[in-house]
Amino acid sequence: MSLFARRRVAVPLLTAALASAALALAACSPPGSNNTPSGNENGPIKIALVDAQSGQLSSLGAWELKGARLAVNEWNKAGGINGRQIQLDVFDDQGDPTTGTNVARKIVSEGYIAMLGTAESAVTIAMAPILRDAKIPNITSGQSPGLVAVGSPFLFLNGPTSTTYDATLAKYLVETKGLKNIAMITNNGAYGKGEHDAFLKALSARNVTPVADQVVTADQKDFSAVLTGIRQKNPEVIFLGAEEVESGLIVKQARSLGITAPFAGGAPMGTPVFADTAGLANIEGSIVSSPYLSNDVSEASRKFAAAYKAAYGEDAELHGAKAYDGAQILLTALKNSNIATGQALADAIRAVKHEGLLGNFSYDNTGVGISATAIGEIENGKLVAATS
Amino acid sequence: MQVTIQTFIGGMSLGAIYALVAMGFSLVYRTMGLVNFAHGNVVMVGAYLASTFFLSTRLPFALAMVVAIGATGVVGVVIERALRPLENKDFDLMLIGTIGFGIVLEALAIIIWGATGHAVPSPVPVPPLDILGVRVRTYDLMVLGIAAAATAALMLFLQRTKRGAAMQAVAMDHEAATAVGIHVGRSNAIAFVIGAALAALAGGLVGPMLYVNPSMGGSLGIKGFAGAVLGGFGSIPGAIIGGLVIGVLDSFAAGHFQGYSELVLFVVFTVIIMIRPTGIFGEKTVNRA
Amino acid sequence: MRYRYRLATLGLAGVAAWLLPYGLDSYAIHVVDVMLLFAILAVGLGLAMGIAGQINLAQVAFFGVGAYATAILTTRAGLGFWTAAALAMVAAAVVGLVVGIPALRMQSHYLGIVTLGLALAFTNWVTNAQIAGGAEGITAIPAPRFPGVDLSSEYLFYYLELILFAAALAFGLFVVHTPLGRRMRAMRDDALAAGAVGAEVPMLRMTAFLVASLYGGVAGVLYAGLIRYVAPDTFSIGNMFLLLAMVIIGGRQNLVGCVVGAVGLVVVRELLIDYPTYAQVAYGSVVVLTVVFAPTGLAGLPSRIRAVVRRRAPVTPALGAFEPYPAATAGVEPSVLTVDGVSKQFRGLRALSNVSLSVAAGEIRGIVGPNGSGKTTLFNIVSGFYRPSVGRVLLDGRVISGARPYRLAQAGIARTFQNLRLFRDLTVADNILVALDRTRTAWTWRYLFWPIGIVRHDRSLRAEADRVLGRFGLADFAGIRPGALSYGIQRRVEVARAMARAPRLLLLDEPAAGLNGEEVRQLGEIVRSIRASGVTVVIIEHNMGLVMSLCDRITVLAGGAVIADGTPAEVVTAPQVIEAYLGDSAMSHDVPTTVEVT
Repeated sequence: MSLFARRRVAVPLLTAALASAALALAACSPPGSNNTPSGNENGPIKIALVDAQSGQLSSLGAWELKGARLAVNEWNKAGGINGRQIQLDVFDDQGDPTTGTNVARKIVSEGYIAMLGTAESAVTIAMAPILRDAKIPNITSGQSPGLVAVGSPFLFLNGPTSTTYDATLAKYLVETKGLKNIAMITNNGAYGKGEHDAFLKALSARNVTPVADQVVTADQKDFSAVLTGIRQKNPEVIFLGAEEVESGLIVKQARSLGITAPFAGGAPMGTPVFADTAGLANIEGSIVSSPYLSNDVSEASRKFAAAYKAAYGEDAELHGAKAYDGAQILLTALKNSNIATGQALADAIRAVKHEGLLGNFSYDNTGVGISATAIGEIENGKLVAATS
Repeated sequence: MQVTIQTFIGGMSLGAIYALVAMGFSLVYRTMGLVNFAHGNVVMVGAYLASTFFLSTRLPFALAMVVAIGATGVVGVVIERALRPLENKDFDLMLIGTIGFGIVLEALAIIIWGATGHAVPSPVPVPPLDILGVRVRTYDLMVLGIAAAATAALMLFLQRTKRGAAMQAVAMDHEAATAVGIHVGRSNAIAFVIGAALAALAGGLVGPMLYVNPSMGGSLGIKGFAGAVLGGFGSIPGAIIGGLVIGVLDSFAAGHFQGYSELVLFVVFTVIIMIRPTGIFGEKTVNRA
Repeated sequence: MRYRYRLATLGLAGVAAWLLPYGLDSYAIHVVDVMLLFAILAVGLGLAMGIAGQINLAQVAFFGVGAYATAILTTRAGLGFWTAAALAMVAAAVVGLVVGIPALRMQSHYLGIVTLGLALAFTNWVTNAQIAGGAEGITAIPAPRFPGVDLSSEYLFYYLELILFAAALAFGLFVVHTPLGRRMRAMRDDALAAGAVGAEVPMLRMTAFLVASLYGGVAGVLYAGLIRYVAPDTFSIGNMFLLLAMVIIGGRQNLVGCVVGAVGLVVVRELLIDYPTYAQVAYGSVVVLTVVFAPTGLAGLPSRIRAVVRRRAPVTPALGAFEPYPAATAGVEPSVLTVDGVSKQFRGLRALSNVSLSVAAGEIRGIVGPNGSGKTTLFNIVSGFYRPSVGRVLLDGRVISGARPYRLAQAGIARTFQNLRLFRDLTVADNILVALDRTRTAWTWRYLFWPIGIVRHDRSLRAEADRVLGRFGLADFAGIRPGALSYGIQRRVEVARAMARAPRLLLLDEPAAGLNGEEVRQLGEIVRSIRASGVTVVIIEHNMGLVMSLCDRITVLAGGAVIADGTPAEVVTAPQVIEAYLGDSAMSHDVPTTVEVT
């Protein structure tokens, strides 16, 4: 809602209005030329975390913050990097791209050397040009292919793109399960649009045309028309590209309309919010493409989950894990490069080979470090690896 | 054909909710001339109260609803007190004043219940009815039934009771009502309590259909208001018809125009209102803004 | 003295604004840049809502149209920034006119929900449309170029914004204080009365939306150049309400107040940004408190304080004597009014049935009858507020029934109202000035291309207004709002306003109601002088003494029909008149038996 982000400028603003005349006469330089150089040599290492801390997407932001903070605390406890502590400051983007651009300027003006987040691709895309100009590397939790299309050498993803999620899903549905009769429902928001394009592309690569391709709005409440249309096509599986709550509502209404086909989709369908909204009985058999199916997939994930539980008293999930991986990669790069900034830090991130919770990261020129997801199915209300 | 009927039914069940919201708008407006833009947020408060009682205290749904309606009615009294100075102000002030109040309510809901919201399981576990391939959710039937009963009760109250007749008199002529000894302040308070109770009813009923969160009031309020205007602002039967029409229109727009449904809905709404500015049951006599 | 003081303040503010960037870091200057955008938007909204009284909840959509059009034209069509900006302004203006169309049919909350709906429709469209980049919006909008100036620097962009903001504010203030703004304010206070003094209400409403959309367009273009990224969320309802709060808190009827509101709210929100939820509680509460305790906003506070101070030392100016009009010269031809078989039906109620009458040139015609007999309905038909169900009205032989009130006002009909319809937030002088202005709305193109013509026109109007005020003895009240005046003086002002139109037919609806004996006597004198100057007068009046002494002929209405028509002496003795009045015993004071017939 607001176009502004954190911190106080009002006071300097008012005093400035009064003192500006004197200042101007004394300085005689063009305004703005006395920017402080970023990267203070001795103080803490300043890293910004930008995510929605208010508004509808704040749950996502809260998870991200917990994951990233866990990683930073671990490093600080171990003595920081080169004896310097890491300072993680949180900025609220409210899930709004314009607020994001304000935050980006703020990060630049306050000398942060790197940024973690955001969870919203649209916000990250909006911020990318400013961060690129200021040479501040950003490890985002977004997954839209649009992030790659930005083509910024300072933008990295902490997980796979929608293309990977949906290519894996389409491969599983079409090739492993042999399903050809597929319907799609996506919303017109940034996430849904990315899912729509990626899944459609993955299907057409396998010569499958969806029997229905329905678009809904992001705050639609009644899906009778869309779902009845799909019911008449009698699909074997329905692909969903929408956020947690809307996905849940669609599944709930679909079941009440007598649609028995399973639903398939990406990360939102692995969350508890989705399960609660739809009702546990309704999501049975759902197929989910996710790089982090559960806290039990590996030794590292069990350790992470235990630490997470100890720190926050709740179970870890995908978004926390992604943010944790992203923070680990950034901190490793800082260590490897002796706390470089700008271009050198970006190069260092690109050079990191990290064995993370989501898999093995190895960045290419597009900023994508991981390109595999696993397929899980919901059995007895729990997401488990698919046994194909 | 099946799609058409199913779409219509889907639209009707949300339309019943919009109708209840619209009724609250119209009742408060006709009695005290206040356009209360915080009404959508009162719906949200009602939804939270009902779902909280239902989920955390394990009260039966019906009982939780009654408690929520009562509690929201009290909230209504508080709002009425706070907004009383606005009653005879011009429309701009009413608009922004009540919007400001709604913003406060939303923020308070975030402070009390958190920003994320929660889902409410359906209180009626009966599977949907299947009539020649058209599915009707039992819960939706219940919602329609309750909405109809609430309307009937309100109409009876307004037409058959002394207090209701007094409120009708206030709606028709403020000054004349005062002159014959009707306590206008009390009528206003009662209108506001009933409006808040209707909002709580709408909120409580919509919880299991959707998802309860602090920002849910926005779109329910706007569509409910559009319903009230479409029916003829201030008219109770108009609010019912208008709310249902908005629900059905919304449902069909979503079916035919997909992502563009909101654009289509509001353009169609504008055109209808342009052709008939007083709405379906518009009464010029009640127009006091 | 006061003028010089103002000029000095203005100069100081200008210098401070010019030097401001020297004291700000790169983030603060960004906040200031955004603040100026909001200030421009707030001025536009203030003009539409506060000045013209049009509820416009689509201002944020106009903003969006400007920003999106610039973004689309630069990135998709490859146009230069300034070319795109010019086209974006055109787009915003077109959208403004389209959104304004519903204002022709509805007002108040109806207009509110319709404009809000259209704003939602706009965000819905940009969220879906491929060309608008969908929910992810459009990135990489090129920075505007200016020879020798790098506008990608936010510090230099600030100066571009500052200049445009100053121009926008100056233009807004110019509009408010000259004929266009005066008409808009008159329309805001009372659209019916504005129509009756010749203001073309539909055109004015469209103009209000056009102006608001131009301000939105300017802000949108600047937004695209500043942020260089557009996405649907920026143009959300939440930001619309924020803008509305700025305008109301600042003071909607005062453009400087709107700017203060915009600056103040941005600063406050910036201070509270660490506590978003509590900030929301605070912001909502401030809005409610402002509306309840300071409905005129921050801008209204000084004058309210001054009013309190002044109440201690009341100065009561006196009503001057009426200075009679010169007798008619040969050139002036009073009108002939003919009402021909007019009936008016309201939903089952027959207010007038088959009324015919004709008023000769230069006559004073009285219309009397019990309450509810259709007198005012007849006036409303003659002055164009109602269309007759059957029949027609002719002025000098030309059919006028069915024409809009402002057309009839332009054709030479002026009227007063039974319940006084003065423009309550305009001074007495402004009330007269609105009526004096005989230009058409189309004339306003001069605001864009020939402002000096406006200044000259305004100056001549003011001179004329002084003459009118002097003639009616109102000179001492020129700067006072009508609400502060006694009833009798308000009645005088309304007659003066009607006469400022220089009409050929004057309709007076109960002009003596609420006047004391001396005031009634003065009224009679004024009306006679008006007639002598070459104006036909029709007067509805319950004060029989006045009617009998003043009117040449009297028409008696009862139950919506003419029951008698003749000289005063003929009418009072007509048996059907006596019966009609005695039958209506509640109105016994109307019975014309105590009348001294001269």
